[in-house]
Amino acid sequence: MSEMATAQAPSPESGGRRQDFDLLKVISRFGVIITLLASILIFTVLNDRFIEIDGIRTSLNLASPLLMLALGLTVVLAMGDFDLSVTGIQSAAGAIVVILIVNHDWSWLLAVLVGLLFCLIAGSVNGLLVSYAGMPSFITTLATGLILIGTRYEAADGRNITGAKDLPAIYRDFGVGRPDPWLELHTPVWIAAGLAILMWLLMSKTEAGRYMYAIGGNPEAARLSGINVKALRALGFTAVGFMALFAAVTSTARTASSVADSGFSTLLGAYAAAFLGAAASKRTLFNVPGTVLGVIFLQAVDRGLILEGYSTGVRDIAKGCILLLAMAFTRIGASRQ
Amino acid sequence: MTATAPEASTPLLEVSGVTKRYPGVLAVDDVSLSLETGQIIGLVGKNGAGKSTLIKIIAGAEHADEGHLRLNGEPLVLHRPHDATVAGLAFVHQDLQDVGDLSVAENVRMGLGYPRKMGLFVDWAELHRQAAEPITRLEADIDPREPVGELSVAKQRLVMIARGLAQQAQLLVLDEPSASLTDEEIEHLFAVVRRLRDDGITVVYVSHRLEEIFELTERVIVMRNGQLVADEPTASLNRSSLISHITGHEHAQTAAERRASRGVGGRPDTEVVLEVDEVSADTGVNNCSFDVRKGEILGVGGLMGSGRTEMVRAVFGADHRREGSVRVHGIEVSDKHPSESMAAGLALLPEDRKTQGNIMDFSVRHNITLASLDRHRARPRVPAPSGRSEKQATDRRIDRLSIATPSDRQLVRLLSGGNQQKVVIGKWLEQGADVLIFDEPTIGVDVDGKEEIYDIMEELAAEGKAVVFISSEFSELVGVCHRVLVLHEGRIVGELEGDAVTEPAIVEICYSQH
Repeated sequence: MSEMATAQAPSPESGGRRQDFDLLKVISRFGVIITLLASILIFTVLNDRFIEIDGIRTSLNLASPLLMLALGLTVVLAMGDFDLSVTGIQSAAGAIVVILIVNHDWSWLLAVLVGLLFCLIAGSVNGLLVSYAGMPSFITTLATGLILIGTRYEAADGRNITGAKDLPAIYRDFGVGRPDPWLELHTPVWIAAGLAILMWLLMSKTEAGRYMYAIGGNPEAARLSGINVKALRALGFTAVGFMALFAAVTSTARTASSVADSGFSTLLGAYAAAFLGAAASKRTLFNVPGTVLGVIFLQAVDRGLILEGYSTGVRDIAKGCILLLAMAFTRIGASRQ
Repeated sequence: MTATAPEASTPLLEVSGVTKRYPGVLAVDDVSLSLETGQIIGLVGKNGAGKSTLIKIIAGAEHADEGHLRLNGEPLVLHRPHDATVAGLAFVHQDLQDVGDLSVAENVRMGLGYPRKMGLFVDWAELHRQAAEPITRLEADIDPREPVGELSVAKQRLVMIARGLAQQAQLLVLDEPSASLTDEEIEHLFAVVRRLRDDGITVVYVSHRLEEIFELTERVIVMRNGQLVADEPTASLNRSSLISHITGHEHAQTAAERRASRGVGGRPDTEVVLEVDEVSADTGVNNCSFDVRKGEILGVGGLMGSGRTEMVRAVFGADHRREGSVRVHGIEVSDKHPSESMAAGLALLPEDRKTQGNIMDFSVRHNITLASLDRHRARPRVPAPSGRSEKQATDRRIDRLSIATPSDRQLVRLLSGGNQQKVVIGKWLEQGADVLIFDEPTIGVDVDGKEEIYDIMEELAAEGKAVVFISSEFSELVGVCHRVLVLHEGRIVGELEGDAVTEPAIVEICYSQH
């Protein structure tokens, strides 16, 4: 083969590895992390309770269901799909489990298994509609999510279903639980961490994970390389359902009730976390460690503002601004390449 | 070497001493040239020779580190692309930059504002009238009200040219304008370009297709390694001397010479690997039958739109077959999913390496192992790829195929076209297919890269693979193939073998169908 090809000059893009220090590049590459560290610093200066270990533990506990939802979203987002029904599945599954235990005296284990079955079916229906029937994921899951939330609402006349007396202690332990003797973290944190590790292994270390990113990169090229694009996309939605069950159990266990709530702020939080995570990664791909970072970020901001005594509205405004800031940093870098 | 401006009145555009450095690369190296009014000028050179960068500088999309521009004798300073538009410089890029949902008229008049009624409402009738004028000048049969996205590629390019006319362009730069156009459409494009030239517009025509340069242009500018290496009247060049300028090599063979020197003859007398039996598909493939032997390179020719791509997609199972069967090593292959064809030993290297062949945002390594990932497990039962095994395999392919990349971790997006194509080839070699179907592997690949791809196909055949090679450049088929099938409207209408494989013979079959 010709020697000319190897003698070709490197492309301009590849030659820039060791050029002078470029501050803008650094900011864009680590924009999310810089914003996070800056926020932590500011909150610590404002109020030294911000870094109290007990408060951090509680915060992590509160953030666990959000992380579970965001992990599921990370899978579908990596393949280029959206799932807006995730909080709908969570809400409906939580209601099913609580109703079965409280109103029908089922054993908690059986109730959770039925909840799991429901979540897997709901996720699979999304998957079939989107991947096999070819419907656009955004509007399809918006529709199924609405149906689920509406059903949950009607099933209890729009009321919360409380079961403080009837939910067994072992079930309620999923919501807080006795802290472990080493790090003194509560049960949901450990469940969330376990799920995060599981998803990280799946997405970064397995063939399936590679194929998912290939689908996200170019579904047609993936299909022509022999990858079963339809099955994997459908499976992604099932994974969202699977994650929603854990979020449903830990959140209902903590409040000892199934709360009648549209879940939209949770949904937006989960998306914000996943997108922050992608913005924090080198090639702006959705990824599990990034999503974990995103959840911690949002929770830290929330906690800092609560300590300063700000209301929900102000906190939402602040989170929105921080999201914009982090994205702006990332965009600045991208547009300069 | 720097060309001096030919003596004339004031040239339209003068480029003096323009230099552009990227980190580690001198993309444009002290280039000076001048463009006269009303000429068609060919700009040629390999990928990475600096053509695109030079054009970007003239378009105001990049800033030169040194040198300056003059337009009609006046200094021309471009801060952004809009400045170039205002100065009367128009650019039609290979990747169409129109807005598909907007109408033809809106695209043609883009950036010029909408005509108004009562100072508020868009005067659509006036807009369509204004847009119709440049379209009429191009003698194009295009309705200004139609959404651009619904037009053919050829018409979309004409819309982009019309935009240039609407902006009163004095200079029109066409970058690979004939890509994906049928022969008839190319003829019309040439007629349009000539008419613009007659109207006093200077046209810069960038193309890898040298036949077009000879047919259309009056003057050729050749770039190599960022430098301007030749600036001559087209009439003083022939194909061989032009290729020498482009590559910097002395020799340049014609296809027939290549065929003779490589001793390409008839098909080898070996066992049949791929049998295609009366295959039809809803994509317009009509009762196609052929077979390919071990070690054979089978060419597939035909005009644009003759159904070549559709035929091989149906054979590979990328599209469903309505009728007919495909056998590999005598075993029938289903068309359910590409993975079934792959298991049988078929590989399709698709027409468009960017949208179908590669995952552009994956590294070289992850692309090369994508179709055979399960062979890189650290433990046979655990479906987790071993990075070390992947790297070894990728480095072997990089080495064997001479893929020019800084490392196996480089994103494929950042490689040149020829090297992207080699990554696709590497993926299928790694997968171990017995039959490799190359669909237009040399599109957008420069002269040296093309030669490398021919060499690779020949090596594969010598190793006992069966190769199917689709090309619109018939000379390529003549240079490489044992046998050539000619398609027309989804049917196989001709077959040539051995010494009968010549360019005139293929062309003859193509055009005798009308």
